[in-house]
Amino acid sequence: MSEVEETIKRIQSHKGVSGIIIVNADGIPIRTTLDNSTTVQYSGLIHQLAAKAKSTVRDLDPQNDLTFLRIRSKKHEIMVAPDKEYLLIVIQSPNEV
Amino acid sequence: MFVDEVLDGVNFKSTWKKERYINDRETQTTALLVSDEAVQSYKTVDEAVQTDEEPKRKLRLAEDTSGQLANFLRRTEPYIIKQLTNNLRSRAFDGYDVDLEDDSTSVTSLHTLTYPSLQDKFQVTSLSWNSTGSVIGASYGQQEHEDWCTHRSVMCTWNLDRTGIVADKPDSKIEVDSCLMYIAFHPKNPAIVAGGSFNGEVLLWDLSREDDMLIATSGLGQDSHQEPVTKVYWITDAKGKKIYLVSASGDGKIIQWKIDRKAQKLLPKEGFMVMTQSLPRQMKVKGVRGDREIGVTCLSYHSEDRETFIVGSETGVIFKCSMYSQGPPAGSHIVSSIPLRSPVTFTYNPHHGPVYAVECSPFHRNAFVSASMDQCIRLYSLLQAQPVLTIEPGEGYVHSATWSPVKATVIAATTQSGNLLIYDLKQGKTVPVHNIPASSNKEPVYACQFNPQQTHLLATGDGKGRVQIFKLSSKLQQVSGKETEFLGNLVNVTAE
Repeated sequence: MSEVEETIKRIQSHKGVSGIIIVNADGIPIRTTLDNSTTVQYSGLIHQLAAKAKSTVRDLDPQNDLTFLRIRSKKHEIMVAPDKEYLLIVIQSPNEV
Repeated sequence: MFVDEVLDGVNFKSTWKKERYINDRETQTTALLVSDEAVQSYKTVDEAVQTDEEPKRKLRLAEDTSGQLANFLRRTEPYIIKQLTNNLRSRAFDGYDVDLEDDSTSVTSLHTLTYPSLQDKFQVTSLSWNSTGSVIGASYGQQEHEDWCTHRSVMCTWNLDRTGIVADKPDSKIEVDSCLMYIAFHPKNPAIVAGGSFNGEVLLWDLSREDDMLIATSGLGQDSHQEPVTKVYWITDAKGKKIYLVSASGDGKIIQWKIDRKAQKLLPKEGFMVMTQSLPRQMKVKGVRGDREIGVTCLSYHSEDRETFIVGSETGVIFKCSMYSQGPPAGSHIVSSIPLRSPVTFTYNPHHGPVYAVECSPFHRNAFVSASMDQCIRLYSLLQAQPVLTIEPGEGYVHSATWSPVKATVIAATTQSGNLLIYDLKQGKTVPVHNIPASSNKEPVYACQFNPQQTHLLATGDGKGRVQIFKLSSKLQQVSGKETEFLGNLVNVTAE
């Protein structure tokens, strides 16, 4: 299996991880481990949120940049790692051990 | 000599009649202006519009054009893994509960529903919410009977979503010719209700019908129960498709029914009999045969495992049973058209009085709660005979206990002294977080049910036939995600 698939599998098999989505610069998912409707929802919403977070950080300090975004909710934690061309979204449920 | 003569007539002028004089006169109106106008109605044309069913857009993952995906993942993977492991170990958010909504800390009574023509003689024997959570049904009966039941009782329903809800006028009333002991709404169809009566009959009603709402009954023959029906329950089969009706009664029988709509009869499909041979050794009475029946007072199906069910009995013993168990068959003195056998696979440490309620936890597969006439509430693990926790509220008999459908550690119980107790096991195992009077004049409260859809509502029914609807505090509905874990830890503790 290619390195990409192996890496995704490794992250997915980590304790508590419910799903991984990799989104390209246009906000279209290129890899996912969740079902279609969830993937579409997450990719659209998180892509916008990450863009807004990035612009907020840049506006506050032009030399600064967004490195990581974490959204913690009652049920899970969504971790977003941004990049110039991609966006890695990992959803973890830390309560269900 | 005689000559004909004609005389003139004589005229009298009338003194009162006046002569009328007639004159001719002419008048003319001004010229009328007249003109012609034409009006025509619209022309109508028929037009049809139809939307096309939007083809389900298949998720097409985009192609990775830049070829840098592997590098990107190589860079970010270690960081993500580090964050994931940190999260699992982190205790940063352990006590952190954000309350973003309206913070109400108390439980308040919203409505008190009564049916005045029962004249306070009947008690609420059970309550049930329908599948949409908008209708509450109450069954009425009397707890004390000397012999055969000759009362005429009713089942009333109120629709709480209606704006003009009148507290003493139920939306529908169904009359039954004996006391109704238990009702249960169908879990999917909001109009179907099943009920068990005092004389052993199991009835099925459809509230959406205009005339006779009764659609099936088990009749009073040998196949139905010979003692009051204590519980009716709807279960879904293992595949989750079919829904069956199960009834339990004081004659020890637990029968699964098949509904024959055309003949309007309920036919027994499968049956079990709880017998004295399943009692624990210290409770067995010498001289009593092993196949004598034990009255079943309550039963509860497991939330995940469709074949396992818990049965509470009049003797105080709680049994774990299985639908597929091959227990010994019922004694030959029982006449029934379907074979009855004992379903018991395990016996738990008994209560000291009849068990009034058992319920399996909807969150944790090993926990169940029981309430009994020995004035205590017990939390058991499915796997061990000794209870994990015994709560003694000190308020008389505990008539019912039920789990909250949203928060895994919340139990509501009602007592003989007329109080509604709500326990949150996470906040205190002996003291309830709420202790509210649920009836006037300290009448015993016999039934309580959480609303599975509108989770802020809880209904209780008391000895005078009053149904009270409570609004729960927001703390009782907030789930922090750690409750199931807490319950699991509680239940996994092995008693010394």
